[in-house]
Amino acid sequence: MKKLVYDIINKLNLPKIEFADVRLTSQDNEFIYFENGGFKSISKNFDDISLGIRVLINGTWGFAGTNKFDKTSIEKAMKRAIKNAETGSIFRRDKIKLSPHKAITGSYFFKPEKDPFLMKDDEKINYLGKIAKKLTTNDKIVHSYVYSEFFRQYKIYANTENTFVDSLVYDTKPVFNVLSSDGNHVYSRTFPGHMAGRRAGFEALEKMDFETNSEIVIKEAIDLLKAPIVEHEKADIIIGGGHLALQLHESVGHATEADRIFGKEISYAGKTFIKPDMLGNFKYGSDIVNIYSDSSDKNGMGFHIVDDEGIEGKKVNIIKNGVLVDQQTSREIAPLLGLEPSSNMIAVTGDNFPLVRMTNFCLAPGKGSLKDLISETENGYLVDNTKTWSIDDNRNNFQFTTEIGWKIKNGEIVGIVKEPTYYGITKDFWNACDRICGEEEWQYHGTFQCGKGEPGQALHLSHGVAPARFRNIAMNAKA
Amino acid sequence: MIEKMRTGLADLCKKYDNIKISFSYQTWETDFLRFYQSQINYNIRRENVNLQVSIYKDKKPYSFAMSNPDLVKVEEKISESLEIIDSLPEDNDFVDLEKDTRIAEEHSVVNNVENVTLAQKIEILQKISEAVKKYNFEIYGTFIVNNVTNYIINSNGLNKAETYSPIMLEVKAVSKENQVTVLESFGSVSLEKLDVDKFLESLILKVQTAKFGVVDLPAKHYEVILAPRCIGEYLSYLTYGMTAGSLDQKESFFEGKINEKIFPENITLTDNPSDPDLIPFKYDGNGHLYQKTELIKNGVFKNFMVDNYYSYKTGLEENGANGSCLVMDEGDKDLAEMISGVKHGIYISSLHYMNFINPKETSLTGLTRDGTFLIENGELKNVVNNLRFTVKISDILNNITEIENKSSIVPFSENYGEFDISLIKMPHVKVNNFNITSSTKTI
Repeated sequence: MKKLVYDIINKLNLPKIEFADVRLTSQDNEFIYFENGGFKSISKNFDDISLGIRVLINGTWGFAGTNKFDKTSIEKAMKRAIKNAETGSIFRRDKIKLSPHKAITGSYFFKPEKDPFLMKDDEKINYLGKIAKKLTTNDKIVHSYVYSEFFRQYKIYANTENTFVDSLVYDTKPVFNVLSSDGNHVYSRTFPGHMAGRRAGFEALEKMDFETNSEIVIKEAIDLLKAPIVEHEKADIIIGGGHLALQLHESVGHATEADRIFGKEISYAGKTFIKPDMLGNFKYGSDIVNIYSDSSDKNGMGFHIVDDEGIEGKKVNIIKNGVLVDQQTSREIAPLLGLEPSSNMIAVTGDNFPLVRMTNFCLAPGKGSLKDLISETENGYLVDNTKTWSIDDNRNNFQFTTEIGWKIKNGEIVGIVKEPTYYGITKDFWNACDRICGEEEWQYHGTFQCGKGEPGQALHLSHGVAPARFRNIAMNAKA
Repeated sequence: MIEKMRTGLADLCKKYDNIKISFSYQTWETDFLRFYQSQINYNIRRENVNLQVSIYKDKKPYSFAMSNPDLVKVEEKISESLEIIDSLPEDNDFVDLEKDTRIAEEHSVVNNVENVTLAQKIEILQKISEAVKKYNFEIYGTFIVNNVTNYIINSNGLNKAETYSPIMLEVKAVSKENQVTVLESFGSVSLEKLDVDKFLESLILKVQTAKFGVVDLPAKHYEVILAPRCIGEYLSYLTYGMTAGSLDQKESFFEGKINEKIFPENITLTDNPSDPDLIPFKYDGNGHLYQKTELIKNGVFKNFMVDNYYSYKTGLEENGANGSCLVMDEGDKDLAEMISGVKHGIYISSLHYMNFINPKETSLTGLTRDGTFLIENGELKNVVNNLRFTVKISDILNNITEIENKSSIVPFSENYGEFDISLIKMPHVKVNNFNITSSTKTI
C-alpha cells in the first residue's frame, strides 16, 4: 500500500499542481449487540480500504475518492481531482495559497493491552452476554441493550512536500442502556454515557466495570420513575465529566473551528458567534477556564504524527485564563487570522475531504475532588449522562437534558431528579464557571460520532475534562 | 461486471442451502459541490462499491461487510463465517429473511452524475450569485448529484435491483451586512425541472423580505407559520414513533393508538413513493415492495411502518414503509391569507439541531434558522434572531389551525455514512400556542 501511495504522489508532482496530498485508510470494525438479554448480532467490516486525492490548482481544491483499487479506477480518480480543481477555479475568486511546510516522516503503531481483533469471538460475546443478562433482572426494566464497537485504522498520508507518515490506532466504544417504565412513562439510563469512546482495545470494557455499574444504573432507572423534576428557575450546577465533555464539545470545540468564521460550514453544520477581532481579547470564560487542543497526546483518540495536510501534531492553547487566544485551523484558514496552522485538518477515511476538526480538545484541570466540590456547594444539582443536546447555528444558545440529576443541599446529595434540563448562552455560561476539579478527576471521554461536513464525516475524538461547577444557570425549559 | 456479480451472489445463495444468506450490494457515486462567499469551496467526486452480508444458520446470526468485493473473496468470507457461526448464540426473535419476491414496475433512470456537469452547476450558481449581489448578499450551500444502485439478493429467491439518481440544490443567501440568511432549495430526479428564473424569483423575494432589520423576541407562546421544510421535519421526527422497532423498544408515542383519532380532522399523512414529484424508491432495505401507506388519515393513526424483522417480532403486517416519501395533504388556504390573519406571530423558514427529550412523549428541543420573521398585523416585518423551541410534536399537530392549499417539494439529506437524498412534499401550516423557550441573540 505504501508503494501505491508513493507512486500516486509522485505522479502528482506536476508543474500545474501547487500542492497535492494522498490519503489511504484501511480499517476494521466489529460490532457486538445484545438486546433484552438476548444475542442479536455480531457484524464485522474488515479491510475497508479507501483512497483520496486532493490537489490545489490555480488556487482551487479538487478532490476525488474511491474504494476501487484497480489501475483504471485510480487513474480516473487522479484525473477527476485535477479536472474538479481546474473547472472549479472558474468559480473561485480568492485563490488559496499555502505556505510551504517542512517534510515530516514517521510511523506510529498503537498497541492495545488486549487486542479485540485477536480475541476469540466467544470471549467477547460471553463477556457482553453476562452483562446483558444482568440488565433484565427487574420487571420495571422494559427494554435494555448492551453493545461494544471495536475499531482499528491503518492510515498512510503523503504530500508533495515529501511528508510521508503511516499509523495504526485502536478505539473501543462499549455502552449499555436500560429503559424503566411504570406503564405510563419511560426513563432511560445509559452507562458510561454519551462519550464512551476510548483509545484502547478490549481493556476499555474491563476498566469500566460494567458488572458493578449495571446494578447502580438499574436502580437509578427505576428510581427515576418516582423522582421529582427540577422546580428551580435557576440553580448552581456541577456537571460530571461524561456530560461536561459534550458541553465543551458543542459550545467551545465546534465554536472555535475557524472554517466556520468564514462560512465554510453554513450549508450544514453552521457558523460561529466568534469573529476574527475577538482573538486575544474576548473573555470566553472565567479566569480559571483554560482550554486547549492537543493532537500530540497519545492517550486520546485525536492523536496523530501529522494531520491530514502534513502539519505535525501539537498542543495549542485556545482559551487561556478565560481569554480566547487561538483557533482550530487549517493551512488555508490560519494565515487569514494571522495564526499558525493548529494541526486540526482531518478526514475520517481516505476517500473523504479533510476539514477543520477537533482532535483531543480539553478543559485543563483545576483543584480538588468531586467530593470536595459537592461538599462546598450549598444548594444545586450534580448533572451527568447526556440525554438531549442541541445548540444553535452560531454555537451561542445551547440546551441540554441529562438522564439524571442529583440534588445537593448543604453540601450533600439528598436525592435524584429526573431529566434535568438547563440552557444558556455560551459566553455567559463559561464565565459562570467558578470551580474545576483537579487532576485526580480529569480523564478522557470520547465520541465516535462527531458529525461535520458534506458528505458527512463521523469522527472519533476525545475530550479531557474534570467535573466543574457553574453558577446560577437557567433550568426552567419545559415542553 | 455488475451483472456477473449479481448472478454470482444468487448462485452463492443456492450453493449454501443449509444457511440463509442476504446480500445487499451497492454502487454509489456522488458529485458534490460546496460553495461559500459566492465561490467554490470544493467539488468532490467519490465512488464506492460495498457489500453487506447477513447469514443465519437456523437462528444464529453473523454479518459482515466488504468494500469493493469480488466473488472469490465473498465466498472465502462465507466459508470463514461458517466456521464461526456454530459457536454463536441464537437470536430467538429471528424467524426468516425477507420473502417478498414481487418486482416493482420498471422506469428509466438517467445517471445524473454523468448527466449534470460541474460546468453546468457553476453556470447556474454564477447566475444566482450575480442576482443576489445587488442586494449585498452572497450565496452559500451545496449542489449535489448522486447515482445509487442497490441490489438485494437472498436465499428466499429475492433478486432485485433499483437505481435512483437525485439532484439537490440548496442555496443560502447571506447578507454581508448583518448575516441575515434566507434559503431556497430544489430537489428532483431531473435537472430539467429546475427553473432557474423561478428559483431566483423566490429567493429574491425572500432576500427583499430581509430588509427590515433584526429584532429579538422574548420567550413565550406564539402563533407561528411553519414553512413546508419545518412541518416536514417535525413529521419526519414523529415517524420514529411509527416504526415497529420503536414500538418494540417501548418508545413509541403511537403504542395502542391504531385507529384512534389523535390529531385534528385536517391532518392526513402518507408515505408515498409513487408520488410523481418524489424519488420513486421501489423497495425498503430488505427488498420488500415499497408502496403508498397511510400513516394518519383525517387525524386517525392508521399504520405503523413495519419491516421484515419487526413484523415477526411484533405481529404487525410487513408493509415496507419507511418514511422516505412523506406527503402531507393540502388544506384550503392561500399562504398570503394565512399570513394576513396573524396579528403578532412568527414565520419560521427552517429548523436546526433538533433532538428528542422524550420520544415517547414526542417532546423535543431545537432552533429556528435561515430566515425567522416577525409577522405584525398580517405582514412579514423584521427578521428575528434565531429562537429555541421546546415542544411536543403532538401538540404542534393538535394546534394546527390552517393548512396551505398547495405543497412544496423539500429535499433532505441523510448526512451520515454515504450521503443520501430524499424528497418530501408539504404545505405551510399555521400553529397556535407554539412554545418559544429562549432566544439565541444571534442570526
